[in-house]
Amino acid sequence: MQPDLAAQAQNLVKIYGRGDTAVRALDGASVAITAGSFTAVMGPSGSGKSTLMHALAGLDTVDSGRVLLGGTDLTALDERRRTLLRRERLGFVFQGFNLIPALSAAENIGLPLALAGRPVERAWFDELVATLGLADRLHHRPAELSGGQQQRVAVARALIARPDIVFADEPTGNLDSRSGEALLAFLGHAARDLGQTIVMVTHDPRAAAHADRVVFLADGRVVDELGEPTADAVLSRMTRLDAPARAGR
Amino acid sequence: MWRLTLRNAVAHPARLALTLLAVALGIMFVTGTLVLTDTSGRALDAQFRTAAAGTDLTVRRATAFDDAMGVEVERDPLPAATLERVRAVPGVADAQPAARGQALLTAGGRTLVPSGASLLRSWTPEPFNAFAVRTGRPPLTGDEVVLDAATAREYHVALGDTVTVQAASTAALRVVGLAWFGDRPGLPDTTVALVTLPAAQRLLGLGDGVPEIAVAVAEGATVAQVRQRLAERLGADAEVVTGQDVAAASASAAKGQVGYLRAMLLALAGAALLVGGFLIANTFAVVVGQRTRELAVLRAAGATGRQLLGSVLGEAALVGAAASAAGIGLGVAAAAGLRALAGQVGVPLPDGDLVLLPRTVAAAAVIGVLITVAAAVAPARRAARIAPVEAMREAATGPAANRARALGGAVVTLAGAAALGVVLAGRGSLGLLGAGALVTVGGLTLLGPAIAPVLARIAGRPLDLAGVPGRLARQTAARAPRRTAATAMALALGLALIGFMAVVGTSVRSAIRQSYGETITADYVIESSRNEMLGGLPPDVQHHVAALDEVAVASRLRYGHWKDGTMTSALTAVDPATLPRVTSLHLVAGRLDALAGGGVILAERVARERGLSVGDTLPMTFARTGEQRLPVAGLLRDADAQALSTDYIIGLDTYARLYAENVDASVFVRLADGADPAAARRAIEAALAGTPTAQLRDQAEAVAGRTRGVDEILGVTTALLLFTVAIALLGITNTLALSIVERTREIGLLRAVGMSRTQLRWMVRGEAVLVAVLAVVIGVALGLGFGAGAVTALGSTTPLAVEVPFGRLALIVAVATVAGLVAGLLPARRATRLDVLDAISRA
Repeated sequence: MQPDLAAQAQNLVKIYGRGDTAVRALDGASVAITAGSFTAVMGPSGSGKSTLMHALAGLDTVDSGRVLLGGTDLTALDERRRTLLRRERLGFVFQGFNLIPALSAAENIGLPLALAGRPVERAWFDELVATLGLADRLHHRPAELSGGQQQRVAVARALIARPDIVFADEPTGNLDSRSGEALLAFLGHAARDLGQTIVMVTHDPRAAAHADRVVFLADGRVVDELGEPTADAVLSRMTRLDAPARAGR
Repeated sequence: MWRLTLRNAVAHPARLALTLLAVALGIMFVTGTLVLTDTSGRALDAQFRTAAAGTDLTVRRATAFDDAMGVEVERDPLPAATLERVRAVPGVADAQPAARGQALLTAGGRTLVPSGASLLRSWTPEPFNAFAVRTGRPPLTGDEVVLDAATAREYHVALGDTVTVQAASTAALRVVGLAWFGDRPGLPDTTVALVTLPAAQRLLGLGDGVPEIAVAVAEGATVAQVRQRLAERLGADAEVVTGQDVAAASASAAKGQVGYLRAMLLALAGAALLVGGFLIANTFAVVVGQRTRELAVLRAAGATGRQLLGSVLGEAALVGAAASAAGIGLGVAAAAGLRALAGQVGVPLPDGDLVLLPRTVAAAAVIGVLITVAAAVAPARRAARIAPVEAMREAATGPAANRARALGGAVVTLAGAAALGVVLAGRGSLGLLGAGALVTVGGLTLLGPAIAPVLARIAGRPLDLAGVPGRLARQTAARAPRRTAATAMALALGLALIGFMAVVGTSVRSAIRQSYGETITADYVIESSRNEMLGGLPPDVQHHVAALDEVAVASRLRYGHWKDGTMTSALTAVDPATLPRVTSLHLVAGRLDALAGGGVILAERVARERGLSVGDTLPMTFARTGEQRLPVAGLLRDADAQALSTDYIIGLDTYARLYAENVDASVFVRLADGADPAAARRAIEAALAGTPTAQLRDQAEAVAGRTRGVDEILGVTTALLLFTVAIALLGITNTLALSIVERTREIGLLRAVGMSRTQLRWMVRGEAVLVAVLAVVIGVALGLGFGAGAVTALGSTTPLAVEVPFGRLALIVAVATVAGLVAGLLPARRATRLDVLDAISRA
């Protein structure tokens, strides 16, 4: 493994169900994530992009293949170790329901560290909060925040532990386009200026255009990739990708 | 709509399973109680019918009343000549004399002490005898005896063995036969010895008197005719009763205790059902909350609010019906267990085929369905109010506390607390206290959702030490105030009842101990190990003990019953000459030795209630001697009366005039000055060797004997109340399990960002413990307050002071907290089994 790789998936196979109803969600997917990069994972629905992300993040197991995170083979870890690894080395932003309703914004941001029993790095916390424009919302409950604010709190939480990789699953799916743009801009900033490795699953070409690189999945395999993407380029690739996939059914 | 109701109930068996169990347990309690008491009632009826079978009429000495406190009164024997006069009456086919009484059996060097009676009866030939000899033959001579087959089997007595029969006198008799009672080998918990009439007369000390004459009516004559003729012929001294009446009267006397037991058990069953009601309301509230979207979709599709109301109530009715059916089945099975429990509190019940009356089934079914439906009304109304647009909204955690409800609750709670305050200040009655308790519970139920978050945040502070899982547990409990409040309240009720019993029981026990210690100065007390109704100490016990060199005084006490209007009361007869040397009695008026003139001493409280003072007379009715007017010779301090467990005291000479019984209830012993206590005890025990039922007790043992009843009742009610606590704990389990489902995504998120399974488990358990702690706080406060109130109210009539049972309360706190932890185990496991991916991808 090259030293500048943050994560690597090798020949992942994941099968749901058995017999006639078996679905090969991942069918030999391999991908390498460079440290400090912002990678978008795209593909038609059912292409396995969410499954790939779950496997990379140790949220789900695979039937064969290896997931390497830094020097650690995730597939060799048990559930407890994977949980510990998640909270030490990974960050997450989901599409919706990112925050614990009972906790304030500040408490939600500090949650991974609190669960691990580690202190919050004050300067880093303040910097994140200031950059994300959350300074005056810290003591509010999630229910008192707008959708955009909620997602920014979720991003802050994902970054607070300085994880090796942040995984974002359709982070702008529930946001209006302005809030979505702001959030994506911040993710881009985090990768380029702060060196944060980010993997984002999305189906929105405009969101993917914020990434350094787009990986295209179809039928559980990586079929293409695009560097320095633009929304138009991504869209045209997607259209091409969709056609044979449809024809094949 | 109905099909949907049915589908809903069937499709989610798990979420309703625990609710069903809670109702079923309450119904089991109700059914078990009714089945047990019906079975006992029928067995008693059958038993006394069998006893009277073949006897058309019984002639016996007339008495003013027939039984007292479930025991038949003793009668003087009839003169021997009465038998010939009975036989001479036209229409009498046969008349046989019969004697019966109590006699202790000793077989193989072992005295047989059953928990019931030790019967001695004269053998009468067919058709009068309810006993039939199945092995061997009837007794023919004075040294022969027939035992019931059950006793012979239990104590390994065979034909030809010799047993000692001990009544007024003692004799060694040879066993010549074994008898059955109807179709049973004996009577429950009873030994039976059948001897010839002369032997019975000798053993019971009757001379040639005959206690009763059994009469068979000739063919062609009616029972009523013959009864009429006998009554005319024999005069007012004799009483002629039909066998049926005797059976019915005996059975109803014996069933009196069963009635008390039934009332007590049903009250406890009510508590269990009330707790179950809270649980049902809670479950349905959560279920309706979870189905908000589904219900809103139905509304949008055109269902009316009324239809949704009907659907939820229909589901409740289904649950109630299923639970009732299960509860009835369980109740029949539990009846046997309750019988054992009743035996523990000294109410031995006869065995028999279980009786399940249609009334029992109907009552259980109606109660089960009504409670379930009634508890579901509030959630159902909430379901009916769901607007169609809520289909589009995020599921909320449920409505916050309602301000009007909280205000009303606060007012009502304060009213209840005020009632308690009045009682505690010594100005209220038990009635006011009961009303106050109901009002307070009602008020707290209303107030619950408003105070639960505050209490949870305060009581949950220590949870913060456990880090994020603890803090989340506290916040979650505070965030669902209705759920937390209702769950905690159900448990609190059970704990409050236990706490109440503990406070009252401990206070009563300590009052008994204190008044006994202050009043009874005797070194030793000799008492019968048996219930006083089953015969006390033979009079020679006192003679033997008094004759010992080590003993200075042996003062006897006797008990008797008398009729006070329609009530039966007890009295104690004492020896005024020796009593002051073994007790320290304080008469507030009159003198103890004035008893010798035939007077009565009253407890001060009784005198006050009756408006009597020294010199007045008290009319008392005695079974043998009818109404007598006894002059009031003195008034005794209440604490002393309590120590002697009596409100009425007469002299032994008066007792001898009024009663035929010749047994002592107890003998108070004072040792001679300088006697070695250990040697004296050995000497007294040696003197008691011939009386196996006599027990020598020092002061501590005597107090323990007197408080044992309190302890037993406290123990059994606590055990039964633990049952309601168990139901409430099911409630915690159920509510948490349901809330886990509700919080699936939240839990998935926590797991994704790194909460370990262990942390998740502790979060759920922490919430369970917090609910239990809230319940403990409310329950112990209620139990302590109202227990103290009850003691204060009772204390206005008897010497009683509040004693807080710290040990017991600490135990309640510890047990409830640990139980809360246990209640959280299942939901915690369930939470950790949630599929993280499934949980987070449910957008």
